[in-house]
Amino acid sequence: MSYYDIDSILTDAEKIPCTFQVGIPDLGYLDNTPSQPLKAGTKVSLPLWLAEMLAIANTGDIEGKSFVAFDLPPALGNDVIQALKADPRAVPLRDQSAHFYGLATHMMELSEEQELGAVLRKTFVTRASEIALHARKVGGVGHKKEDASNLGIGGAGEEFLRGLDEWERRLFRQAHEGAKAGKQWMENIKRS
Amino acid sequence: MPMYGDQGNKLVQHAKRTQNLAHLPPYQTELVRGVTREVRDLDKDVASLLEPFQGSFDPSADQATACTLLVNHLSMRRNKRCLLAYHRTRTDKLEELAWAGSDVLDHAGQQPGGANNAALVDGGASSLSPQEEDYFRQFGDLLAACKGQWTDIDLTGSLEPPRDLFIDVRVLKDAGEIQTEYGAINLTKNSQFYVRQGDVERLVAQGYLQKLA
Repeated sequence: MSYYDIDSILTDAEKIPCTFQVGIPDLGYLDNTPSQPLKAGTKVSLPLWLAEMLAIANTGDIEGKSFVAFDLPPALGNDVIQALKADPRAVPLRDQSAHFYGLATHMMELSEEQELGAVLRKTFVTRASEIALHARKVGGVGHKKEDASNLGIGGAGEEFLRGLDEWERRLFRQAHEGAKAGKQWMENIKRS
Repeated sequence: MPMYGDQGNKLVQHAKRTQNLAHLPPYQTELVRGVTREVRDLDKDVASLLEPFQGSFDPSADQATACTLLVNHLSMRRNKRCLLAYHRTRTDKLEELAWAGSDVLDHAGQQPGGANNAALVDGGASSLSPQEEDYFRQFGDLLAACKGQWTDIDLTGSLEPPRDLFIDVRVLKDAGEIQTEYGAINLTKNSQFYVRQGDVERLVAQGYLQKLA
């Protein structure tokens, strides 16, 4: 998670639903009404980089109220979590968010969701083994497709692989390249 | 409705795409300018917001202003991060290309059509910003200085030991005359030569010649 990390920057651009707790005259543009003040209680969805700081900033209020209160984004909503509990492999995470895990870890830092961590861990472990399986398979069979840089593979796994989030994609690519390099090395050894 | 930080986000998406490419896509001059302009505007807003307070602003007394200031500040910070990340991704790529010995400044010139435009591209067709061209040139100089000081080892050379001293090459584009131990060779397009590998390694890396198996 470096300052320059592109994926982490893109994760920070994911939007989460927020509710303003304080009325602010100058911020009407956040709710698409630049000419009007932003009333307390307005719901807007803000990118993570804005919402995070607004939610934890100290307003100087005696009750310790912050500028905004936030909810979990729909990507981490109840139905998604239930679906993940049922079968992690059946959920295309990418449709929820391209940076699903990044978003989730961020949200877990901000809120106290006990269950979420456990569900996510199980999700990742289950999916990771599936990813590894696909990565090996692709390297073994499709000789011609090796030069296709991305996930250009047909067959049964396609549906699943399309649903990988950014992190999982990287995992897949690395597993795939690892298997390929290993194979290449073995072949070279035999030849020389 | 566009929001602060949206343009920065576009830049980062460009950077993301750049990471997976072999070459360097054109520099997003317009976007970069847009983002910097946004930062300047935000800074002006902050200055005008703070003006009536004469330097004695108390955040807890005026929460609404405090929040506006915070949002402005965060937007600027976000834009800064986007800008830095975008440029860093590109310079990383440039360094990589410099190590690989490819001539980026040259590459820019031979987009479809003008294959012989080997001279430095002045404006227009180049995919680098002027600063990036400078960076690339100076980085190349640094690499060359590293090589020259101690040994005549070519740091950017291939780590694979050559199988043969001589190789067959085909000329892909005119490269003019080169001097070798065995006299001068005139490299004209589509001709074939049997030459010493060391003499032409550079030209192969730069894409003038193609090695024949």
